[in-house]
Amino acid sequence: MILLTAIIAGTIAGWGYARWKGEAWQSPVFRATWLVALGFLPQLVAFYLPYTRKSFTDEAASWCLVSSQILLLIFAGLNIRLPGMSLLALGLTCNLIVILANGGFMPLTIDAASRLVSQTVLNRLVLGERVGSASKDILLSDASTRLPWLADRFVPPQGVPYRFAFSLGDIFIALGTFWLLSSDRHNT
Amino acid sequence: MKLPINSLTLSLSKINKTHLQFALMILTLVMLVLGAGAPEDVGGVGR
Repeated sequence: MILLTAIIAGTIAGWGYARWKGEAWQSPVFRATWLVALGFLPQLVAFYLPYTRKSFTDEAASWCLVSSQILLLIFAGLNIRLPGMSLLALGLTCNLIVILANGGFMPLTIDAASRLVSQTVLNRLVLGERVGSASKDILLSDASTRLPWLADRFVPPQGVPYRFAFSLGDIFIALGTFWLLSSDRHNT
Repeated sequence: MKLPINSLTLSLSKINKTHLQFALMILTLVMLVLGAGAPEDVGGVGR
């Protein structure tokens, strides 16, 4: 949701700024768009579609995640000339590195999980295993997490109704997306 | 009296190349950020 919010906010900001300047808003033009579709497909079937994801073993799902992110990173590299894309690529690289360092899934720290779900739900989760078939995350203790500062360890402050855990890479991706959409393309 | 088919044709004729490019760009970005990011929300836990 944090990432989709960045798309909506960036579009509104870019469109609003263009209107304020009396110009037509120009959306970014990507190279090799097909690569995103190809890159997202493994994640679509392994994580997002309820009917297909349950047939994937954890190992197959992690392969899908890693191969998908490599393809998306190639896409980001091909479009690095666009403003904000370098930040988005940095976030993607951070996520990919921590995923590779922790057995193919994004580590979710116990501390973040305890601030995300109730104690009852937390008790049902098993340390070292995925937190759900729809999830890219694996529950790990701080001690067993490699590169813990790149893990899903941040949680919005109390009072924010939508609860989620996110990584430093996710922050870079959200900021890069906002920058990409809100930047003035008439001067580029 | 306007036929519904005429209204539909009129509406479709207003969809131009720019609208399609915008829709494709948004779809591309949605796939990119959903694939690149790995936030975890309550809905994904235990599912």
